[in-house]
Order: sequence, then structure tokens, then C-alpha cells
Amino acid sequence: MVTTTSSRTPLSSPMETPADTPASRTFKVSSVPSEDDRADTLIEIKDFDFYYGTKQALFDINLKLDDKRVTAFIGPSGCGKSTLLRCLNRMNDLIDGTRITRGGVKVRGVDIYGRDVDSIELRKRVGMVFQKSNPFPKSIYENIVYGLRIQGVKSKARLDEVVEKSLRGAALWDEVKDRLHESGLSLSGGQQQRLCIARTIAVEPEVILMDEPCSALDPIATAKVEELIHELKKQFTIIIVTHSMQQAARCSDKTAFFYMGKLIEYADTRTIFMNPANAQTEAYVSGRFG
Amino acid sequence: MPSDVQPVSPDAVPAKPFAVRKARTRFFGLTFDECIRVFFGGNAFVAVIVLALITFFLFREGSAFFGQNRESLRVYRQAGLEYIDIIRQQEADHTALTRYLFAIRMKVVATLREERGAVIQADLEAAKNAVQQLAGAEGGATSTTLVSARARLAEAQKADAALGASINGELAVFDTFAERYSDTVLPVRGLVSDLGEIATGIKSRYIENEDYKVARSQFIQAGKQGEADAIQLREIDFKTEVAAITGILPAYQQINGEFTAALQETVRELPVLPVASLQPRLDRFKVLTQDYVAMFPGIEARLKAWDPLTPVTWSKSFSSFIFGREWLTASFWQDWYGVVPLFVGSLVISLIALIIAVPLGVCAAIYINQVAGPREQKLVKPAIEFISAIPSVVLGFFGIAVLGQTLRALSQFESLSWIPGFPYSERLNALTAGVLLALIAVPTIFTLAEDAINNVPRAFKEASFALGASRLQTIVRIVVPAALSGIVSAVLLGLGRVMGETMVVLLCAGNRIAIPDFTAGLAVAVQPVHTMTGIIAQEMGEVARGGIHYRALFVVGLVLFFIALLLNYLAQKIVRKYRISVG
Repeated sequence: MVTTTSSRTPLSSPMETPADTPASRTFKVSSVPSEDDRADTLIEIKDFDFYYGTKQALFDINLKLDDKRVTAFIGPSGCGKSTLLRCLNRMNDLIDGTRITRGGVKVRGVDIYGRDVDSIELRKRVGMVFQKSNPFPKSIYENIVYGLRIQGVKSKARLDEVVEKSLRGAALWDEVKDRLHESGLSLSGGQQQRLCIARTIAVEPEVILMDEPCSALDPIATAKVEELIHELKKQFTIIIVTHSMQQAARCSDKTAFFYMGKLIEYADTRTIFMNPANAQTEAYVSGRFG
Repeated sequence: MPSDVQPVSPDAVPAKPFAVRKARTRFFGLTFDECIRVFFGGNAFVAVIVLALITFFLFREGSAFFGQNRESLRVYRQAGLEYIDIIRQQEADHTALTRYLFAIRMKVVATLREERGAVIQADLEAAKNAVQQLAGAEGGATSTTLVSARARLAEAQKADAALGASINGELAVFDTFAERYSDTVLPVRGLVSDLGEIATGIKSRYIENEDYKVARSQFIQAGKQGEADAIQLREIDFKTEVAAITGILPAYQQINGEFTAALQETVRELPVLPVASLQPRLDRFKVLTQDYVAMFPGIEARLKAWDPLTPVTWSKSFSSFIFGREWLTASFWQDWYGVVPLFVGSLVISLIALIIAVPLGVCAAIYINQVAGPREQKLVKPAIEFISAIPSVVLGFFGIAVLGQTLRALSQFESLSWIPGFPYSERLNALTAGVLLALIAVPTIFTLAEDAINNVPRAFKEASFALGASRLQTIVRIVVPAALSGIVSAVLLGLGRVMGETMVVLLCAGNRIAIPDFTAGLAVAVQPVHTMTGIIAQEMGEVARGGIHYRALFVVGLVLFFIALLLNYLAQKIVRKYRISVG
């Protein structure tokens, strides 16, 4: 959990933007380490090179991501952070012309690009929430159970149980429990995004990848999703790509800064925001470019 | 006025005129911009105007049909043709019963041949083959073997003929029975034929007189009173004329009584069939005959109540077109313009076409959009779209020359005889036309369905994949349901395309104007049919302008027009109703 020295009330305090007050920016970052700072490594990215067609998008990425922690990927547009995220559950397989020329990704020591790895099985373990909320044009209930239905779960009792559990997990249950059979598209934007999170946790993955989950949401909905992230990290490993440095600062335990397809700096969030080792990182987090 | 000439203070610069007036150049009172607007707007509205004109003229040409049809039905009634048709129907029903008997006989012969003649049949085939082979080999085979093979063939043929004769012998009793049964109707038939002559006589005199009337009025209009007076008009008094027909009622009643007695006498004792399993059919025949006889009093009552002067209602004129089961023109008796056989023909062909085209078009669209690589897309998409560019008369030619032949040849294969309707002999039929029309519908369905699938947001697919769904699961559970409204409307528009297609059906459907025999089950597909579009194309060139036949064809055109309108409306409505709102 991120604890704050001053009172952190995202609902009442206006969002700062880097352009507003570059000199006076302060980030509310936990100043005390969380109770157990040592975490196991879950995902290990090693010497990773990635191409879209002939254009190289990622250069020699080396990164170890912690289990049951929130890791944020930050960096200016086109820096490769989303690409790397999508490599972690092989979503890039669906795009023509993508290839990996060097290195690999290991989850719990298993190379996910290995010959005998089924990308479908992988995606059940590494779920994903997208930038734009994308519930299926089905009922709320059917949205949640989709992942189970495709795995062949038929028992009504089990499905009902999962729906309630997932919606509670995504802090949406109280809002929708009376209209589970209405269309998922009838919800508000923030609710839709939490529905997508509920849908993802319904299949009980180990990792949840979030690709700018709040970029299309208003501040109140954003705050709700961020609270949710704090809750979720007890059970799941979360990797979040964000353009909002406040969000990275508020939510994450560790932060990786990318620039031009390269990993520039990776450290505790505290360090990245308060005492970055690299000049580019410092320039970016203080809002001087990006 | 003094105020006008007041001096302006020197430091004030006179204000530039504030030009807001419209440009002065005008064509027909319009500025240049307005002209452009009118030009583009006019182009846009041409479609609406043309559609309105088409509708208007279809209605104008077609609407007079119902009046003419009513007149035609009036003559039909007043000249007594309707009266005779009541008796004629009775005769036709009897003929149907005789056919039923004949069908039983066919079945018996087939069963007996199968039971007893298997060996003989095999012998016959083998001998035939041997002779053919030897005769084909010519030099290789010695003449003695050929002679012996020929002898064997002759022997086998003899045995076959003997079997046929023995079966016929066993059926002799049945044949006498059938002949007696079929002869019972002869007195009725004779009566109908005598009456028919009287009635057609009345009708032709009436029509002749009407023609004279027209000629006379033309002479009067031209001012030739002398010629007009030379034409002798003889008004037909239907009431007295028809009395000659209705007067036979007592004679008919007597004949009918004898007919009833003869029928009952004949079926009292049924012959025993050599095949016991078919005996129930014969028992059924007895029941049918008794039902038939039971209808006779009703027929007599109808004849008694019949009045030539009952007016023909408008609804009768409508219903004889819309529900009329016969399209019969240039007949010596009575012309009928019933759209049902044509409509059913169009429907059967369209259904066959859709059954083939929907899976082809939709599955191809799914494959090309969701599975295929760019190279396959580049090959398949233009190929499918090119099909729609082939002129349909060329396709029709292909249908006659290649497809019809091939399908018929296929149907002759022993191994395919399990398909309903196979083997068949009519090369041109609903199946041939339907298969070709499927080819025409596929591009429409494919293109529109592919568009619909393409419009499914990528986000749905990604979400599905991210939850661990396979490609197939994503297609079946997400992509197709999301695109379903578009796919359904694609199918409807494909149906519209097929319904309106003319050349192919005219060339390949066989053009028999009759309601296909649906008792044949799925074999209905291999019957020749005629269609609404085909009949217009075929007959429009031969009819007199303004005549009832001409107008009837226009009404058929109207029916087609409304079908097209309905299908397009439904397609648009479905798309609008189920469009996914993606937030």
C-alpha cells in the first residue's frame, strides 16, 4: 500500500499536470518501505529485442518484476512500454509481422516464448485490462463468466459464485448486483473499466497487465480504479502502463522508465521520483519533457 | 436636404462600405453558389424521382388488371364455364384416383422384380457387359466367344421377358379391376365434353360480339356511319343461352347415380395383390373411393344452387390472382392468372440458392476477415467479387451447357441415389437454377457480411484473446454474434438479389408453369419450375398492349417490386435495431 505523509485525497485535490508547475512539483510517494520489501521475482525479461516488421521497438530489455507487487511502466508516447506489456502475455502474436530476435521472457522460470508453451494457456494466467474499456456486447453476467465458459465451466452455481466474487473483487458488486442481466455497455465508463477488471480476475490469473487503464476515465473513476489496484495487489501481480506520473507514484511499488525503446531506469518508485539516478529520468518525472 | 450636405470633420476617415450584399451575377435568378447547390441536389434527387416514377407506372399499368380480370371472370361464369368446371373437377378427382391405382401396380411390379428377378437381372447385366466388351475389343476376341456371349445375352433377355410376362399374368385380375374402375367415369366425361362445346360456343359468340362493338364504335368515331350500321350486333342473352347447360341437371343426376352405383360395385370386391405388404394401400384406396362418392351430393347441391347472374366481386378478382393456383394463358377454355405457381417457383429456387449461398458466403467472409493471411485475402476477395461481374446470361449459358448436364450425370450414379430426387431426367430444373443463383448471391452476401465482421471492434477480439479464448472461440462467441445483424441483413439482400434475377432462371429453371409437387419431399428441388421474373421476360414480348395478359404481367412486376421493397426495409431495420453501440 502506498501510504502518504500528507493527506492524500484524490477526490478533493485537483490533479497536477507537469506543465503547470514544473518547479514546485512534489510527488506523494510512500516514504516508509512497505512491511516486507523483499519480494520474489515473478517475471524475468532478459536481453529482449522486439521488432514490428523491420522497425525495432525494444532494445535489449532486462527487467525483473516482483510477485504480488505493482510495477509501473512510464515513459513518453512510443517509448515501447505498451509493447513490452503486450509481450508479457503474447498479445503481440496477434499482430502480423512482429518478431523477437533475441532474449526472452520467463514467468516463474518458464520461457513463455518456448516451443511447447500454449499462448492461450498463458493468457489465462496473465490477464489484461485495456486502455479503452471494452466489455462485450453481452450482459454484465455474461461478460464476467465469458472466461469460464470458454474453459467449459457449465455449473450455474459455480458461475454465480464467481460473478459475485469477481464483482466484489472489482468493487462493482453493490452498484450492479440488481442488474446483472443488463448489457455491459449500459454502464458508465468507470464502471465498464471495473467490469473489465472483474472479467479479468474471474479467470484467476496470476498477473494482471493494465494498459493505461485510467486514461479514458474522469478523476473520480480513476480514483476508484486506483483504490482497486491497491486491493488487488494482495492477490495479484500487477503491471501498469501509465502516462500519469501521479498515478505511477500513487499506485506502484516499483517503476520502470522507458525511452526510445530502451529501459532507462528501474528502481523503487520512491527512488525514481525523488532521487533518480539518470538525468533523463529526472527530466521526465519533473515534467521537463515527455 | 441640409443634413445631407453637412460637412464631415476632416480628421474622420470615411468608413469603407461594409460589403454584405450578395454577388450580382445571377442565372435564372440564382447566384452561382445556388446554381451549384441546385445541380448537386438535382443529381441526388434523381434517384427519388425515378423510384417514384417506376412506382407510379407500375401501378398505373397494373391496376387495370383487376377490372379486366373481374370482367373475364364474369364471362366465365355467365357463359356457364364455371358450371361445367364443377363437374369437370369431379372427373379430375376420379382420374387422380385412377393414377393412385396405377402407382400401386408400379410398386407391385418393382417389388416382385426385386424379389424374383435379382439373379436374372444380374445375368442380364453381365451378359450385356460381356457383349459390349467383346464387341469393343473386336480383333482381340475370337468370333466364337462373341457368338457365345451373344447367345447368353439372348437367353438372359428371354428369361427377363418371361419374368415380366409371369408378373403381368399374376396382375391380370388387378388389371381388369383397374380398367373397370377407370371406365366408370366415361358417362360423366361424355357429358362434360358435350356441355363444354355449348359453353365455349356462347363465350366465343360473346367475345365476337364485343369485338364488333369495338369496331362499330371506331367506325362511328371515324364518321363512317354506313359501315357502322352494316355491322350486325347480336347481344348474347346469357340467361337463356345458359339454360341449355343448366337444363341437363336431371340427366346429370341420373348419370351420377349410375356412376355412384358403378363405383361402389367395383370396389366392393378388391383383388388380392401378389405382394401382401402392399394390400393396405389397396384398402386405403377403397376408403378414398368412398370419401369421393360421399362428395357427390355436395356437387349436385352446388350445381342446383349455381346462378349465372351472381355478380363477381372485386375480392374474387383479387384472390383469383393472389391465391390462384393456375397461370394459364391462350387457353380455349378460360385463361387464369394465378401468381401462386410463379411465386412458389421463385421461392423454391431462392431457397435452394440461399441454402447453398449462405454458408458459402458467410463462412468465406469469416475466413477471409478473421483467419486468412494478406496473400489469401488478395487472391480470394477479388475472385469472389468478380463473380458478380459475370453477365448473368453467360452464367445461364454455363448452367445449361455444363452445370445442368453435370448435375444430371451425377444424379445417375448409383452411389448418389440416396439423395432425394436422384436420379432425375430433367436437365433444367429448380436445382440447376438454384445452384447458379447461389453463385450470384455469394458475392453480395460475402461482401456485406465481411463488412459487418470487419466492423466488429478490434477491442472485443483482444479482450476475448486476453481472457484465454482460442481463435475459434473468439469467432464463434464474440465476432459472429456481434456481427449477426449485419450478416442477417446481408442474407436478406442476397435473397433480394436472387428473387430479382431473371436471365439465369429463364434459361435454367425449366419453365414449367405449375406448383411443384411438394408431396415429393426434398425431391421438389429437381422439378422444373417457372418464376415471376422469368414469366415477365418470356411473355412480355408476345402480349397485346393493354390486354389482360399484359396487365397481369405488370401486376407480377408489382409483386416483385413489393418483395424487393420489403426485403430492403427489413435489412435496414435489422441493422439499425441491433447495431452495437460502442461507448
